[in-house]
This record gives sequence, C-alpha cells and structure tokens, in this order.
Amino acid sequence: MRIENFQHKMAAHCESGTITSLLNHAGFEITEPLVFGISSGIFFGYFHKMKSFAFPTFIVRNRPGQMRINSEKRMGVKFNTFTFKNQDKAQQKLDELLGQGIPSACQVDFFYLDYVPSWEKVHINVHFMVVIGKEGDNYLISDSYFPEPVGLPSASLINGRFAGGSMSPKGFLFYPAGIPPYIDFESAIRKGIKKACFNMLKIPLPFLGVKGIRMFAKKIVEWPKFARDTEHLSHEIMKINILLEDQGTGGAGFRFMYATFLQQAAEMIHKPALKELSQELMIIGDGWREISLFAARIGKNRDLGPEKLKILSEMISGRAKVEEKFFTQLNKAMI
Amino acid sequence: MTTQTSSELKLEIKLLIMETLSIQDVSPDEIDEEKPLFGGENALTLDSVDALEIIMAVQRKYQVRIGDQNLARSIIRSINSIADFITAEQAKSVS
Repeated sequence: MRIENFQHKMAAHCESGTITSLLNHAGFEITEPLVFGISSGIFFGYFHKMKSFAFPTFIVRNRPGQMRINSEKRMGVKFNTFTFKNQDKAQQKLDELLGQGIPSACQVDFFYLDYVPSWEKVHINVHFMVVIGKEGDNYLISDSYFPEPVGLPSASLINGRFAGGSMSPKGFLFYPAGIPPYIDFESAIRKGIKKACFNMLKIPLPFLGVKGIRMFAKKIVEWPKFARDTEHLSHEIMKINILLEDQGTGGAGFRFMYATFLQQAAEMIHKPALKELSQELMIIGDGWREISLFAARIGKNRDLGPEKLKILSEMISGRAKVEEKFFTQLNKAMI
Repeated sequence: MTTQTSSELKLEIKLLIMETLSIQDVSPDEIDEEKPLFGGENALTLDSVDALEIIMAVQRKYQVRIGDQNLARSIIRSINSIADFITAEQAKSVS
C-alpha cells in the first residue's frame, strides 16, 4: 500500500524538508525556507577537541530535532513523537500509522539506506525521511535528497532506526497531530529571526555562532597536528567541502535557503529591509562556496602546506567578519 | 540581442566544463549530451570536486544561482540538464 495523496518533494535539508512535507500533507501550505527560518535553523559551531569527535569538526545548523521543536513553539503546530527500546514495537507503530494512512518521519543512520549510492554512504545518525508505504517486506520512502520515492527493505530500515553511537535514533518517529486554525506568522518570523541572531552573535561560548567561525579560522592551521599523515589530513580537509556542500548540512546551501526565507518574510511582514539583507546573504553564501571549493581542491591535490591552510584560514575569517555584520544588521532590522 | 540555439548552448557548456577542469584529452563531440557526467558512463570521468567547480563556473558565466545542493546534483547530471536549467533561468529573468 501507498499513501496516495502524499506529494514527494526534494528539499535542501532533510529535517526542514521532512517537516515541510508532513505539514503540507496535513493541509498546511508552508515552504521549506519558511520552516527553516521560523525554526532558526541557521547556525555555526566549531568543535576543536571533543570526546565525541576524533578530529576537529564543525556544524552549520542547529541541533537535530530543534527545527521541529521550534516549529511547534512558534507556529503552534503539534507533532506526536515516539522513541522505542524494542525494534518490533517500533516497526509495529510505523505499520499501524501506515495502516491509518498517516505518513511519519523516521530518524535513521544514513549509512543503512540501501538506495544511497555506495560512494555517498556515511554514518550520520540524524538523517530524516518519511515512510509513505509498504509492499511486502519493502517500505516506500520519501527521502527529500532523492527525486522520486525509493524502496527500502524492512531489515535496512530497522538497522537505520536502531543504529548505535552518538545521537542514535532509538527508533524515533514523528508526525503532525494538529495544525492551529490561525498562525501568527509575524510573531513566528520575528521570534525565529531574533533567536537566529542571538545564536549567531550572543551565545557566550567561544565556539558557537560567529565566534565559532572565528575559532574555526584560527584553529584550522593546527589541523596537521591532529592528522596521522597527509592522506588523513587531506581526507579531513575535503570533509569541509562535504559538510558545506554535499550532505545537506549547510554552509552555502543553508545561507541561500535562509536568504530565500528573508525574501519571503519581507513580503509577509512588510519589511523591505529583509529583502536587501537577503541579497547580502546570497553573496555571503557564495563566499562559503568558495571556501568549500578551495578546501576540496587542496585536499584533492594533497596540496596542504602551511601557506594553503593560512589562505583557508583567512577565507574563513572573512566569513566571520561578514556574518557578524550581517546578523547585527538583521537584528537591528527586527527592532 | 542574438538568440542562442540549444545546440550552441550545449557546445558552450561542454567547452566551459573542459576549460574549467582543464580537460584536453576529450573533444566536445565525444561528450554525450544525455548520459550522466558522473559515474563513468560518459567520455568524462568527473568527481564531486569537479561537480562543485562546474556549479561555480555555470553560476559565474550565466549569472544564475544554484543554491540547493540536492537540486544542484540533478542540474549538473548531464549537459542536457545543465542546458535546460540555464534556459529556464534565462527565461525567468526575461519575463
């Protein structure tokens, strides 16, 4: 069986895309950029030395699950959420919902999704996709990274839902349980923007927000100290490109999506200044893409001398400067 | 204003890719316009870094923006898909 009227759509990011698809299916017409912006999805964090990461790394989005929580808080939509200890019960619940014609989002480890080409497979425990049908032992999945719905054997889905490690999904699933008759978009947009500005400018921790971008710029020249050899360093440097471009984790892509949000918000709350800021953010996004390409090039060519890392550091530092200015202006525009 | 035909645009895209990636051992005629540019089915053997180079070159030359990574993947799938995207974007900016 397949939930017939579910519209599969590609999206820029799995979590905002999944939330958008489910809300659209529930009759609430909203775009992915609006979900992303209202839920303050834009962010930056740099982790130089942390137990959970073997090598320094960074994030360009808020915590997994936060977009759903912020959507509930700011728009009043309600989601039912479940986690499970027992794999059979987790599958039973999923089947029960399918039987009722309710598509639900599952959190999975990306690695176990058979439809992902082998060269793209990585262990990421916080991938979200929507289960929209089942035929025999195969589930039908609406994964916003793929142009069409795809099939997935139940054994693989179970492996993905119960993968171990950091941020393990524990069978987590969710689906919309209620849409309010009236949504105060002006308030939701304002709160979403103010919180994004706070996160980028005012969290008093040196590795988060613009301070985190600055720390990333400063510390990247130390990366060779953490690497086993040139191969390892090259792999880690090329991961900058992967994190910024390839896996829906953000960077340029998220800056562009947030810019689209500001453009839509400008019209919805009659604030033309947001439209101008949107243009500015597009240019900032291009700068992140330049960083991504530079990192990919030097990594691919094993051209990782100190002078190249210094250039990379300066490029990242440039992003800190422009993002600080951008979020300060954005914050002022909302007063 | 001169109007570029579809075949002229496709040739231009092929030349842009070859120039961007410094490809000298393949001629434009050898590049199949429908076959994927990635995965070894075409005359070119490209990887994800090449993909990003192509995205940025297309953005610069045609003044378009490919913001969504997943969309980017489908746009740069083949010469035809790149040409379709550019044509659609140019039509949008005219209207």
